[in-house]
Amino acid sequence: MSDSPYIITVLLAMALVTFALRALPFLAAQWLGRHPWVAQLGRFLPLAIMTLLLLHAMHGASSEHAAGPWPELVAVAVVVLLQLKSRNPLLSIVAGTGLYVLLRNFGLV
Amino acid sequence: MTHPEQPEASRLSILALTAPVAMGYVPLGSVFGFLFVQAGAEWWLAVLASLCVYAGAAQFMMIPMLAAGLPVGAIALATLIVNLRHIFYGLSLLERMPNQRLLRWYLVFALTDETYSLLTSLPKTVGHRQMAGIALLNQGWWLLGTLLGALIGASAKLPLAGLDFALAALFAVLTVEQWRARRDAFPIWVALFAYGIAQWLAPQQALLIAIVLSILVGLWRKPASAELSGEAKQ
Repeated sequence: MSDSPYIITVLLAMALVTFALRALPFLAAQWLGRHPWVAQLGRFLPLAIMTLLLLHAMHGASSEHAAGPWPELVAVAVVVLLQLKSRNPLLSIVAGTGLYVLLRNFGLV
Repeated sequence: MTHPEQPEASRLSILALTAPVAMGYVPLGSVFGFLFVQAGAEWWLAVLASLCVYAGAAQFMMIPMLAAGLPVGAIALATLIVNLRHIFYGLSLLERMPNQRLLRWYLVFALTDETYSLLTSLPKTVGHRQMAGIALLNQGWWLLGTLLGALIGASAKLPLAGLDFALAALFAVLTVEQWRARRDAFPIWVALFAYGIAQWLAPQQALLIAIVLSILVGLWRKPASAELSGEAKQ
């Protein structure tokens, strides 16, 4: 894998594909902007996708140890409760991550 | 997110907003840089990957493919599949993008999972420069991590397991805030159900399949007609 021209070609191809995917909705905006589906998805998608990204991150984290999903569930429950009560993102994230690191590193998992 | 209500307070609040992303991107980026260099590539190629590809999962995926010397087309196709979900991210940001070309196309380029979730959660008062600032800082964290991992090599290991859980915590906070904005739990139930089905169908592509399933439900479910016509007239 020390062949730099090959790696650079691959990187450029990957960059092109990734950028094209991210740009597609904007290039099609003239058509998309007027379509009622866009308004519908604009309301529905952010919460659904955020939930999916959360589930996916929890699933990935729980696959790194053999204790089942409970450390992730406990830590996320703490984050959600704190955020509902305090509306302070930094506090919620630091507290939840701190608790999770404790669970993972100090004999609890 | 609640705090950047006055655009003047931008620099500090932008840093605060991207801080959890930094806690995920710096360690993850350094793992990428480390593995990439371990596989036999030059350090600057790892940085180039994070500079011009900038897609976490695809970057991790390409390491074994590059090491195996797969054809460029095959790696491009795999990138297409892994990043397919990014097609849908722009849909929620169409109205909010700057008209200025450089800012606009940089924001389009930098729409990763984390940047997408931060940008869609910002209040409407947040300006285009701040949006671009958030995107730029996030890529900066990713580049910093990549550089550290590629240069330091073996000593770039995480001191504690689970620090990158900050990203999951960020997604949890943003889920709460998205729910607070609409007070409609239906998308959450759809997402849970879709992810369960997707894990059962194809665990390797669970995220993409779950997003496609959610979009199908989102299109099929008609919202209250008054609300829809009200927004269409704007």
